[in-house]
Amino acid sequence: MSIVETKKLAYEYIRRDAEGNVEGITRAVDDVTMNIHQGEFVAILGANGSGKSTLAKHLNAIFYPTEGSVFVDGKDTKDESKLWDIRRTAGMVFQNPDNQIIGQVVEEDVGFGPENMGVPTKEIWERVEESLRIIDMLPFRKMSPMKLSGGQKQRVSIAGVLAMHPKCIILDEPTAMLDPLGRKEVIRAVTALNQVEKITIILITHYMEEVIGADRVIVMDKGQIVMSGTPKEVFSQIELLKELRLDVPDVTMLAYKLRQSGLPIPRGILTQEELISEIEKLKVAK
Amino acid sequence: MIRDITIGQYYQTESVIHRMDPRFKIIATMVFIISIFIFTNPYIYIVASVFLGICIALSRVPFKFMVRGLKSVVMLILLTVIFNMFFIQGEPLFHIWKITISKEGVETAAYMAVRLIILIIGSSIMTLTTTPNQLTDGLESVMKPLKLFRVPVHEIAMMMSIALRFIPILMEETDKIIKAQTARGASFEDKNMIKRVKSLVPVLVPLFVSAFRRASDLAMAMEARCYRGGDGRTKMKPLKYHRVDFVGYVVIIIYFACIIFTGIYAHYLPFGEGL
Repeated sequence: MSIVETKKLAYEYIRRDAEGNVEGITRAVDDVTMNIHQGEFVAILGANGSGKSTLAKHLNAIFYPTEGSVFVDGKDTKDESKLWDIRRTAGMVFQNPDNQIIGQVVEEDVGFGPENMGVPTKEIWERVEESLRIIDMLPFRKMSPMKLSGGQKQRVSIAGVLAMHPKCIILDEPTAMLDPLGRKEVIRAVTALNQVEKITIILITHYMEEVIGADRVIVMDKGQIVMSGTPKEVFSQIELLKELRLDVPDVTMLAYKLRQSGLPIPRGILTQEELISEIEKLKVAK
Repeated sequence: MIRDITIGQYYQTESVIHRMDPRFKIIATMVFIISIFIFTNPYIYIVASVFLGICIALSRVPFKFMVRGLKSVVMLILLTVIFNMFFIQGEPLFHIWKITISKEGVETAAYMAVRLIILIIGSSIMTLTTTPNQLTDGLESVMKPLKLFRVPVHEIAMMMSIALRFIPILMEETDKIIKAQTARGASFEDKNMIKRVKSLVPVLVPLFVSAFRRASDLAMAMEARCYRGGDGRTKMKPLKYHRVDFVGYVVIIIYFACIIFTGIYAHYLPFGEGL
Protein backbone atom coordinates (compact mmCIF):
# COMPACT_ATOMS: atom_id res chain seq x y z
CA MET A 1 0.00 0.00 0.00
CA SER A 2 1.39 3.37 -0.86
CA ILE A 3 1.57 6.02 1.85
CA VAL A 4 3.03 8.91 -0.11
CA GLU A 5 2.51 9.33 -3.81
CA THR A 6 3.40 12.20 -6.11
CA LYS A 7 2.15 12.56 -9.65
CA LYS A 8 4.02 14.78 -12.09
CA LEU A 9 4.73 17.14 -9.22
CA ALA A 10 6.23 20.52 -10.12
CA TYR A 11 6.91 23.56 -7.98
CA GLU A 12 8.04 27.00 -9.05
CA TYR A 13 9.62 29.67 -6.90
CA ILE A 14 8.83 33.11 -8.20
CA ARG A 15 11.60 35.61 -7.53
CA ARG A 16 10.53 39.21 -7.31
CA ASP A 17 12.52 42.42 -7.18
CA ALA A 18 11.93 45.21 -4.64
CA GLU A 19 8.85 46.50 -6.49
CA GLY A 20 7.26 43.10 -6.70
CA ASN A 21 7.85 42.55 -10.40
CA VAL A 22 8.62 39.02 -11.43
CA GLU A 23 12.34 38.69 -11.97
CA GLY A 24 12.46 35.07 -12.80
CA ILE A 25 10.96 31.71 -12.12
CA THR A 26 12.90 28.82 -10.68
CA ARG A 27 11.50 25.38 -11.16
CA ALA A 28 12.67 23.77 -7.93
CA VAL A 29 10.82 20.52 -8.43
CA ASP A 30 10.12 19.32 -11.93
CA ASP A 31 7.95 16.42 -13.00
CA VAL A 32 8.52 14.17 -9.99
CA THR A 33 6.50 11.00 -9.89
CA MET A 34 7.21 8.59 -7.07
CA ASN A 35 5.46 6.11 -4.89
CA ILE A 36 6.49 5.30 -1.34
CA HIS A 37 5.03 2.23 0.32
CA GLN A 38 3.94 1.75 3.89
CA GLY A 39 6.88 0.62 6.03
CA GLU A 40 9.56 1.55 3.53
CA PHE A 41 12.76 3.43 4.39
CA VAL A 42 13.43 5.76 1.49
CA ALA A 43 16.36 8.12 1.29
CA ILE A 44 16.30 11.12 -0.99
CA LEU A 45 19.76 12.29 -1.96
CA GLY A 46 20.87 15.36 -3.80
CA ALA A 47 23.39 18.18 -3.79
CA ASN A 48 22.45 21.67 -2.64
CA GLY A 49 19.74 23.17 -4.78
CA SER A 50 18.61 19.85 -6.18
CA GLY A 51 15.07 20.43 -4.93
CA LYS A 52 15.03 17.72 -2.30
CA SER A 53 13.92 19.97 0.57
CA THR A 54 11.22 21.57 -1.56
CA LEU A 55 9.96 18.11 -2.41
CA ALA A 56 9.94 17.18 1.28
CA LYS A 57 7.84 20.20 2.21
CA HIS A 58 5.19 19.06 -0.26
CA LEU A 59 4.78 15.75 1.53
CA ASN A 60 3.54 17.52 4.67
CA ALA A 61 1.35 20.07 2.88
CA ILE A 62 3.59 22.99 3.81
CA PHE A 63 4.03 23.75 0.13
CA TYR A 64 1.37 23.14 -2.48
CA PRO A 65 2.27 21.89 -5.94
CA THR A 66 2.30 24.35 -8.84
CA GLU A 67 1.49 21.45 -11.13
CA GLY A 68 0.64 17.83 -10.51
CA SER A 69 -0.47 16.46 -7.18
CA VAL A 70 0.65 14.82 -3.95
CA PHE A 71 -1.32 12.18 -2.09
CA VAL A 72 -0.60 11.32 1.53
CA ASP A 73 -2.35 8.18 2.69
CA GLY A 74 -4.73 8.60 -0.25
CA LYS A 75 -5.58 12.23 0.60
CA ASP A 76 -4.82 15.01 -1.82
CA THR A 77 -2.71 17.71 -0.12
CA LYS A 78 -4.62 20.38 -2.03
CA ASP A 79 -7.77 19.46 -0.12
CA GLU A 80 -7.75 21.96 2.74
CA SER A 81 -10.26 20.06 4.84
CA LYS A 82 -7.77 17.19 5.09
CA LEU A 83 -4.81 19.43 5.99
CA TRP A 84 -4.54 18.47 9.66
CA ASP A 85 -5.12 14.82 8.90
CA ILE A 86 -2.24 14.92 6.44
CA ARG A 87 0.12 16.69 8.83
CA ARG A 88 -0.70 14.15 11.48
CA THR A 89 -0.14 11.20 9.16
CA ALA A 90 3.12 12.54 7.79
CA GLY A 91 5.16 14.15 10.56
CA MET A 92 8.13 16.30 9.72
CA VAL A 93 11.51 16.86 11.37
CA PHE A 94 13.53 19.86 10.23
CA GLN A 95 17.19 20.71 9.96
CA ASN A 96 17.84 23.13 12.81
CA PRO A 97 17.11 21.52 16.17
CA ASP A 98 16.93 24.89 17.98
CA ASN A 99 14.27 26.25 15.67
CA GLN A 100 11.75 23.47 16.07
CA ILE A 101 11.66 22.87 19.80
CA ILE A 102 8.82 24.86 21.31
CA GLY A 103 8.72 23.67 24.90
CA GLN A 104 11.02 24.74 27.67
CA VAL A 105 11.16 21.25 29.07
CA VAL A 106 11.73 18.13 26.96
CA GLU A 107 8.44 16.47 27.89
CA GLU A 108 6.45 19.64 27.25
CA ASP A 109 7.88 19.86 23.77
CA VAL A 110 7.00 16.27 22.99
CA GLY A 111 3.47 16.98 24.22
CA PHE A 112 3.05 19.97 21.91
CA GLY A 113 1.79 17.98 18.91
CA PRO A 114 -0.80 15.95 20.84
CA GLU A 115 -1.94 19.15 22.59
CA ASN A 116 -2.62 20.72 19.21
CA MET A 117 -4.53 17.66 18.10
CA GLY A 118 -6.82 17.93 21.11
CA VAL A 119 -5.76 14.66 22.71
CA PRO A 120 -7.05 14.32 26.31
CA THR A 121 -4.54 15.19 29.04
CA LYS A 122 -4.10 11.66 30.35
CA GLU A 123 -3.41 10.27 26.90
CA ILE A 124 -0.91 13.05 26.19
CA TRP A 125 1.17 11.89 29.14
CA GLU A 126 1.01 8.29 27.91
CA ARG A 127 2.04 9.30 24.42
CA VAL A 128 4.89 11.48 25.67
CA GLU A 129 6.26 8.70 27.82
CA GLU A 130 5.91 6.16 25.04
CA SER A 131 7.62 8.36 22.44
CA LEU A 132 10.48 9.28 24.72
CA ARG A 133 10.99 5.63 25.59
CA ILE A 134 11.04 4.55 21.93
CA ILE A 135 13.62 7.20 21.12
CA ASP A 136 15.57 6.41 24.30
CA MET A 137 15.31 9.89 25.81
CA LEU A 138 13.16 9.10 28.85
CA PRO A 139 15.89 10.01 31.39
CA PHE A 140 16.01 13.53 29.93
CA ARG A 141 12.29 14.25 30.15
CA LYS A 142 12.54 16.95 32.83
CA MET A 143 15.53 18.70 31.29
CA SER A 144 15.66 21.96 29.40
CA PRO A 145 16.34 21.41 25.68
CA MET A 146 19.08 24.04 25.97
CA LYS A 147 21.17 21.60 27.96
CA LEU A 148 21.06 18.81 25.38
CA SER A 149 23.53 18.03 22.60
CA GLY A 150 22.54 18.51 18.96
CA GLY A 151 21.87 14.81 18.45
CA GLN A 152 19.74 14.65 21.57
CA LYS A 153 17.77 17.71 20.49
CA GLN A 154 17.01 16.09 17.15
CA ARG A 155 15.88 12.96 18.95
CA VAL A 156 13.53 15.12 21.02
CA SER A 157 12.16 16.56 17.78
CA ILE A 158 11.64 13.05 16.47
CA ALA A 159 9.87 12.08 19.69
CA GLY A 160 7.68 15.16 19.29
CA VAL A 161 6.55 13.90 15.89
CA LEU A 162 6.22 10.35 17.15
CA ALA A 163 3.78 11.45 19.86
CA MET A 164 1.36 12.41 17.10
CA HIS A 165 1.29 8.71 16.06
CA PRO A 166 2.21 9.31 12.42
CA LYS A 167 2.33 6.62 9.77
CA CYS A 168 5.22 8.29 8.08
CA ILE A 169 8.03 10.58 9.21
CA ILE A 170 9.80 12.91 6.83
CA LEU A 171 13.21 14.07 7.98
CA ASP A 172 14.52 17.08 6.11
CA GLU A 173 18.30 16.98 6.52
CA PRO A 174 18.04 16.21 10.23
CA THR A 175 21.78 15.73 10.56
CA ALA A 176 23.06 18.70 8.58
CA MET A 177 23.91 20.71 11.69
CA LEU A 178 25.23 17.87 13.85
CA ASP A 179 28.68 16.52 14.57
CA PRO A 180 29.53 12.99 13.35
CA LEU A 181 28.56 11.44 16.66
CA GLY A 182 25.19 13.17 16.71
CA ARG A 183 24.61 12.13 13.13
CA LYS A 184 25.15 8.48 13.93
CA GLU A 185 22.88 8.78 16.95
CA VAL A 186 20.02 10.22 14.90
CA ILE A 187 20.39 7.76 12.03
CA ARG A 188 20.45 4.85 14.46
CA ALA A 189 17.24 6.11 16.05
CA VAL A 190 15.56 6.57 12.67
CA THR A 191 16.57 3.11 11.51
CA ALA A 192 15.19 1.60 14.71
CA LEU A 193 11.90 3.43 14.19
CA ASN A 194 11.60 1.91 10.76
CA GLN A 195 12.54 -1.61 11.80
CA VAL A 196 10.86 -1.88 15.20
CA GLU A 197 7.90 0.48 14.94
CA LYS A 198 7.37 -0.13 11.18
CA ILE A 199 7.00 3.58 10.51
CA THR A 200 7.65 4.73 6.97
CA ILE A 201 10.75 6.90 6.86
CA ILE A 202 11.63 9.43 4.20
CA LEU A 203 15.12 10.69 4.93
CA ILE A 204 16.41 13.65 3.02
CA THR A 205 20.14 14.14 3.21
CA HIS A 206 23.32 14.77 1.35
CA TYR A 207 25.45 12.46 3.44
CA MET A 208 25.89 9.23 1.55
CA GLU A 209 26.84 7.18 4.62
CA GLU A 210 23.39 7.72 6.03
CA VAL A 211 21.49 6.10 3.19
CA ILE A 212 23.24 2.73 3.28
CA GLY A 213 20.55 1.28 5.54
CA ALA A 214 17.68 2.49 3.34
CA ASP A 215 15.46 0.18 1.31
CA ARG A 216 15.51 2.55 -1.60
CA VAL A 217 17.54 5.58 -2.61
CA ILE A 218 16.21 8.32 -4.84
CA VAL A 219 18.77 10.74 -6.25
CA MET A 220 17.62 14.17 -7.33
CA ASP A 221 19.26 16.77 -9.48
CA LYS A 222 17.85 20.04 -10.80
CA GLY A 223 14.44 19.18 -9.46
CA GLN A 224 14.18 15.82 -11.16
CA ILE A 225 14.66 12.24 -10.12
CA VAL A 226 17.81 11.02 -11.87
CA MET A 227 18.44 7.71 -10.17
CA SER A 228 16.38 5.36 -8.10
CA GLY A 229 17.11 1.94 -6.69
CA THR A 230 18.62 0.03 -3.78
CA PRO A 231 21.73 1.60 -2.22
CA LYS A 232 23.81 -1.06 -3.96
CA GLU A 233 22.41 -0.23 -7.36
CA VAL A 234 22.85 3.49 -6.87
CA PHE A 235 26.39 3.30 -5.50
CA SER A 236 27.46 1.10 -8.37
CA GLN A 237 27.32 4.11 -10.64
CA ILE A 238 30.12 6.13 -9.16
CA GLU A 239 30.83 8.15 -12.31
CA LEU A 240 27.25 9.36 -12.50
CA LEU A 241 27.20 10.28 -8.79
CA LYS A 242 30.40 12.28 -9.22
CA GLU A 243 28.78 14.12 -12.08
CA LEU A 244 25.91 15.02 -9.76
CA ARG A 245 28.38 16.49 -7.23
CA LEU A 246 27.69 13.76 -4.69
CA ASP A 247 30.33 12.02 -2.60
CA VAL A 248 30.23 8.28 -2.25
CA PRO A 249 31.16 6.62 1.06
CA ASP A 250 34.91 6.14 1.51
CA VAL A 251 34.66 2.34 1.41
CA THR A 252 32.73 2.40 -1.84
CA MET A 253 35.31 4.75 -3.29
CA LEU A 254 38.18 2.52 -2.18
CA ALA A 255 36.51 -0.53 -3.69
CA TYR A 256 35.96 1.41 -6.89
CA LYS A 257 39.64 2.42 -7.09
CA LEU A 258 40.76 -1.15 -6.41
CA ARG A 259 38.49 -2.36 -9.16
CA GLN A 260 39.84 0.27 -11.53
CA SER A 261 43.37 -0.89 -10.87
CA GLY A 262 42.42 -4.38 -11.92
CA LEU A 263 41.27 -6.30 -8.84
CA PRO A 264 38.08 -8.30 -9.43
CA ILE A 265 35.94 -6.60 -6.80
CA PRO A 266 32.22 -6.26 -7.53
CA ARG A 267 30.46 -2.91 -7.85
CA GLY A 268 28.43 -1.26 -5.11
CA ILE A 269 30.38 -2.17 -1.98
CA LEU A 270 28.76 -0.28 0.90
CA THR A 271 30.38 -1.36 4.14
CA GLN A 272 33.85 -2.13 5.45
CA GLU A 273 32.83 -5.70 6.26
CA GLU A 274 31.76 -6.31 2.70
CA LEU A 275 35.06 -5.02 1.33
CA ILE A 276 37.08 -7.05 3.82
CA SER A 277 35.27 -10.26 2.92
CA GLU A 278 35.77 -9.58 -0.79
CA ILE A 279 39.50 -9.11 -0.23
CA GLU A 280 39.64 -12.25 1.90
CA LYS A 281 38.01 -14.13 -1.00
CA LEU A 282 40.75 -12.84 -3.29
CA LYS A 283 43.42 -14.14 -0.92
CA VAL A 284 41.80 -17.59 -0.85
CA ALA A 285 41.57 -17.62 -4.63
CA LYS A 286 45.24 -16.93 -4.88
CA MET B 1 28.36 30.07 31.22
CA ILE B 2 25.64 31.85 29.29
CA ARG B 3 23.72 28.58 29.17
CA ASP B 4 22.98 28.67 32.85
CA ILE B 5 21.22 31.99 33.01
CA THR B 6 17.83 31.95 34.64
CA ILE B 7 15.06 34.01 33.17
CA GLY B 8 12.86 36.10 35.37
CA GLN B 9 13.82 35.98 38.98
CA TYR B 10 12.41 32.65 40.05
CA TYR B 11 13.93 31.46 43.32
CA GLN B 12 13.94 27.67 43.56
CA THR B 13 12.89 26.32 46.93
CA GLU B 14 10.10 24.31 48.52
CA SER B 15 7.32 26.31 50.17
CA VAL B 16 3.56 26.65 50.43
CA ILE B 17 3.60 29.70 48.22
CA HIS B 18 5.69 27.94 45.59
CA ARG B 19 3.14 25.16 45.48
CA MET B 20 0.17 27.47 44.99
CA ASP B 21 -1.61 27.83 41.69
CA PRO B 22 -0.26 30.66 39.50
CA ARG B 23 -3.80 31.91 38.90
CA PHE B 24 -4.30 32.39 42.61
CA LYS B 25 -0.98 34.18 42.94
CA ILE B 26 -1.80 36.57 40.11
CA ILE B 27 -5.26 37.37 41.47
CA ALA B 28 -3.97 37.68 45.05
CA THR B 29 -1.25 40.08 43.92
CA MET B 30 -3.81 42.20 42.12
CA VAL B 31 -6.06 42.30 45.19
CA PHE B 32 -3.07 43.22 47.32
CA ILE B 33 -2.07 46.08 45.03
CA ILE B 34 -5.62 47.43 44.99
CA SER B 35 -5.78 47.15 48.78
CA ILE B 36 -2.87 49.52 49.31
CA PHE B 37 -4.24 52.13 46.97
CA ILE B 38 -7.86 52.54 48.08
CA PHE B 39 -7.20 54.25 51.41
CA THR B 40 -4.58 56.67 52.62
CA ASN B 41 -3.83 56.28 56.28
CA PRO B 42 -0.94 54.80 58.21
CA TYR B 43 -2.89 51.89 59.67
CA ILE B 44 -3.53 50.43 56.21
CA TYR B 45 0.19 50.20 55.65
CA ILE B 46 0.69 48.51 58.97
CA VAL B 47 -1.90 45.85 58.11
CA ALA B 48 -0.43 45.44 54.62
CA SER B 49 3.12 45.20 55.93
CA VAL B 50 2.21 42.58 58.49
CA PHE B 51 0.45 40.57 55.80
CA LEU B 52 3.45 41.00 53.52
CA GLY B 53 5.80 39.89 56.29
CA ILE B 54 3.80 36.70 56.82
CA CYS B 55 3.89 36.00 53.07
CA ILE B 56 7.65 36.53 52.91
CA ALA B 57 8.16 34.18 55.84
CA LEU B 58 5.91 31.55 54.21
CA SER B 59 7.67 31.83 50.85
CA ARG B 60 11.08 30.96 52.37
CA VAL B 61 12.75 33.28 49.90
CA PRO B 62 15.60 35.19 51.58
CA PHE B 63 14.59 38.80 52.20
CA LYS B 64 17.60 40.14 50.31
CA PHE B 65 16.10 38.82 47.05
CA MET B 66 13.03 40.97 47.61
CA VAL B 67 15.21 43.99 48.28
CA ARG B 68 17.13 43.26 45.10
CA GLY B 69 13.92 43.94 43.19
CA LEU B 70 13.75 47.34 44.86
CA LYS B 71 17.17 48.39 43.64
CA SER B 72 16.03 48.81 40.06
CA VAL B 73 13.22 51.17 41.06
CA VAL B 74 15.06 53.29 43.61
CA MET B 75 15.26 56.09 41.06
CA LEU B 76 11.53 55.95 40.43
CA ILE B 77 10.77 56.10 44.14
CA LEU B 78 13.17 59.01 44.65
CA LEU B 79 11.63 60.94 41.79
CA THR B 80 8.13 60.42 43.14
CA VAL B 81 9.22 61.54 46.58
CA ILE B 82 10.96 64.65 45.26
CA PHE B 83 8.12 65.69 43.00
CA ASN B 84 5.54 65.20 45.70
CA MET B 85 7.59 67.03 48.27
CA PHE B 86 8.40 70.07 46.17
CA PHE B 87 5.26 70.58 44.20
CA ILE B 88 2.39 69.93 46.56
CA GLN B 89 1.30 73.17 48.17
CA GLY B 90 -0.15 73.55 51.61
CA GLU B 91 0.78 74.44 55.16
CA PRO B 92 4.48 75.40 54.95
CA LEU B 93 6.84 73.32 57.07
CA PHE B 94 10.21 74.89 56.22
CA HIS B 95 11.98 76.72 53.42
CA ILE B 96 15.05 75.73 51.48
CA TRP B 97 16.24 78.70 49.45
CA LYS B 98 13.15 79.66 47.42
CA ILE B 99 11.35 76.36 47.68
CA THR B 100 8.73 75.79 50.30
CA ILE B 101 8.16 72.32 51.60
CA SER B 102 4.66 71.78 52.82
CA LYS B 103 3.29 69.42 55.41
CA GLU B 104 0.95 67.87 52.83
CA GLY B 105 3.86 67.41 50.45
CA VAL B 106 5.94 65.44 52.95
CA GLU B 107 2.92 63.39 53.89
CA THR B 108 2.00 62.44 50.32
CA ALA B 109 5.64 61.75 49.50
CA ALA B 110 5.94 59.40 52.45
CA TYR B 111 2.71 57.63 51.53
CA MET B 112 3.80 57.19 47.93
CA ALA B 113 7.20 55.85 48.89
CA VAL B 114 5.73 53.32 51.31
CA ARG B 115 3.11 52.31 48.77
CA LEU B 116 5.64 51.75 46.01
CA ILE B 117 7.94 49.75 48.26
CA ILE B 118 5.09 47.54 49.47
CA LEU B 119 3.83 47.16 45.91
CA ILE B 120 7.19 46.09 44.53
CA ILE B 121 7.96 43.67 47.33
CA GLY B 122 4.44 42.28 47.05
CA SER B 123 4.69 41.59 43.35
CA SER B 124 8.20 40.22 43.64
CA ILE B 125 6.86 37.55 45.97
CA MET B 126 4.81 36.39 43.02
CA THR B 127 7.65 36.45 40.50
CA LEU B 128 10.11 34.86 42.91
CA THR B 129 7.86 31.90 43.66
CA THR B 130 6.41 31.22 40.21
CA THR B 131 8.34 29.91 37.20
CA PRO B 132 7.97 32.01 34.04
CA ASN B 133 6.19 29.05 32.49
CA GLN B 134 3.58 28.86 35.21
CA LEU B 135 3.23 32.60 35.05
CA THR B 136 2.32 32.56 31.34
CA ASP B 137 -0.06 29.67 31.92
CA GLY B 138 -1.65 31.54 34.78
CA LEU B 139 -1.93 34.76 32.81
CA GLU B 140 -3.55 32.96 29.90
CA SER B 141 -6.14 31.53 32.24
CA VAL B 142 -6.75 34.72 34.24
CA MET B 143 -7.09 36.82 31.09
CA LYS B 144 -9.52 34.40 29.46
CA PRO B 145 -12.56 36.67 30.00
CA LEU B 146 -10.84 39.26 27.80
CA LYS B 147 -11.47 36.91 24.89
CA LEU B 148 -14.98 38.34 24.78
CA PHE B 149 -13.41 41.64 23.78
CA ARG B 150 -11.47 39.88 21.02
CA VAL B 151 -8.18 40.04 22.86
CA PRO B 152 -6.05 37.18 21.49
CA VAL B 153 -5.30 35.76 24.94
CA HIS B 154 -3.95 32.37 23.88
CA GLU B 155 -1.73 33.92 21.23
CA ILE B 156 -0.28 36.43 23.71
CA ALA B 157 0.52 33.66 26.17
CA MET B 158 2.06 31.54 23.39
CA MET B 159 4.21 34.46 22.26
CA MET B 160 5.38 35.03 25.81
CA SER B 161 6.39 31.45 26.33
CA ILE B 162 8.16 31.29 22.96
CA ALA B 163 9.99 34.51 23.80
CA LEU B 164 11.09 32.97 27.08
CA ARG B 165 12.37 29.91 25.27
CA PHE B 166 14.31 31.94 22.72
CA ILE B 167 15.93 34.46 25.06
CA PRO B 168 18.85 32.16 25.94
CA ILE B 169 19.26 31.10 22.30
CA LEU B 170 19.42 34.69 21.13
CA MET B 171 21.81 35.56 23.97
CA GLU B 172 24.14 32.84 22.80
CA GLU B 173 23.83 34.14 19.28
CA THR B 174 24.64 37.70 20.40
CA ASP B 175 27.72 36.35 22.10
CA LYS B 176 28.80 34.64 18.88
CA ILE B 177 28.19 37.72 16.75
CA ILE B 178 30.13 39.95 19.13
CA LYS B 179 33.04 37.54 18.97
CA ALA B 180 32.86 37.38 15.19
CA GLN B 181 32.80 41.16 14.87
CA THR B 182 35.61 41.55 17.41
CA ALA B 183 37.67 39.13 15.35
CA ARG B 184 37.21 41.48 12.41
CA GLY B 185 38.44 44.43 14.40
CA ALA B 186 35.26 45.89 15.83
CA SER B 187 35.60 47.47 19.23
CA PHE B 188 32.84 47.49 21.81
CA GLU B 189 34.65 49.23 24.61
CA ASP B 190 34.89 52.82 23.57
CA LYS B 191 34.68 55.42 26.32
CA ASN B 192 32.49 57.59 24.15
CA MET B 193 28.87 56.69 24.78
CA ILE B 194 27.69 57.53 21.25
CA LYS B 195 30.47 55.50 19.67
CA ARG B 196 29.65 52.60 21.91
CA VAL B 197 26.00 52.65 20.90
CA LYS B 198 26.99 52.94 17.25
CA SER B 199 29.28 49.94 17.57
CA LEU B 200 26.24 47.85 18.48
CA VAL B 201 24.69 48.28 15.03
CA PRO B 202 26.85 45.57 13.41
CA VAL B 203 25.69 43.25 16.20
CA LEU B 204 22.00 44.08 16.07
CA VAL B 205 21.57 43.80 12.31
CA PRO B 206 22.74 40.18 12.01
CA LEU B 207 20.92 39.36 15.24
CA PHE B 208 17.63 40.64 13.84
CA VAL B 209 18.13 38.84 10.54
CA SER B 210 18.74 35.59 12.33
CA ALA B 211 15.83 36.15 14.72
CA PHE B 212 13.47 36.57 11.78
CA ARG B 213 14.82 33.45 10.12
CA ARG B 214 14.35 31.51 13.33
CA ALA B 215 10.82 32.83 13.68
CA SER B 216 9.91 31.68 10.19
CA ASP B 217 11.48 28.25 10.79
CA LEU B 218 9.66 27.91 14.08
CA ALA B 219 6.34 28.89 12.56
CA MET B 220 6.78 26.19 9.95
CA ALA B 221 7.73 23.61 12.56
CA MET B 222 4.70 24.53 14.65
CA GLU B 223 2.36 24.22 11.70
CA ALA B 224 3.89 20.90 10.77
CA ARG B 225 2.95 19.77 14.26
CA CYS B 226 -0.67 20.74 13.71
CA TYR B 227 -0.59 24.04 15.61
CA ARG B 228 -3.63 26.10 14.67
CA GLY B 229 -4.21 28.51 17.51
CA GLY B 230 -5.89 27.97 20.83
CA ASP B 231 -9.21 26.51 19.67
CA GLY B 232 -9.61 22.80 20.20
CA ARG B 233 -6.30 22.57 21.96
CA THR B 234 -5.89 20.43 25.05
CA LYS B 235 -3.30 20.92 27.77
CA MET B 236 -0.64 18.53 28.85
CA LYS B 237 -0.35 20.25 32.20
CA PRO B 238 -3.71 21.86 32.92
CA LEU B 239 -3.85 24.18 35.92
CA LYS B 240 -5.66 22.64 38.84
CA TYR B 241 -6.69 24.26 42.09
CA HIS B 242 -5.74 22.39 45.24
CA ARG B 243 -6.77 22.80 48.83
CA VAL B 244 -3.98 25.34 49.51
CA ASP B 245 -5.40 27.60 46.85
CA PHE B 246 -8.88 27.64 48.36
CA VAL B 247 -7.37 28.39 51.75
CA GLY B 248 -5.40 31.11 50.00
CA TYR B 249 -8.54 32.66 48.55
CA VAL B 250 -10.17 32.68 51.99
CA VAL B 251 -7.08 34.31 53.50
CA ILE B 252 -6.92 37.00 50.83
CA ILE B 253 -10.64 37.78 51.29
CA ILE B 254 -10.15 38.09 55.05
CA TYR B 255 -7.14 40.32 54.44
CA PHE B 256 -9.12 42.55 52.11
CA ALA B 257 -11.96 42.77 54.64
CA CYS B 258 -9.44 43.81 57.30
CA ILE B 259 -8.13 46.57 55.03
CA ILE B 260 -11.61 47.91 54.35
CA PHE B 261 -12.49 47.72 58.02
CA THR B 262 -9.30 49.56 58.98
CA GLY B 263 -9.84 52.10 56.24
CA ILE B 264 -13.34 52.93 57.38
CA TYR B 265 -12.76 53.00 61.14
CA ALA B 266 -9.23 54.40 61.15
CA HIS B 267 -10.36 57.93 61.96
CA TYR B 268 -11.37 56.78 65.46
CA LEU B 269 -7.70 55.98 66.08
CA PRO B 270 -5.00 58.55 66.80
CA PHE B 271 -3.54 59.98 63.56
CA GLY B 272 -6.32 58.11 61.71
CA GLU B 273 -6.99 61.01 59.38
CA GLY B 274 -3.39 61.59 58.52
CA LEU B 275 -0.32 62.48 60.49
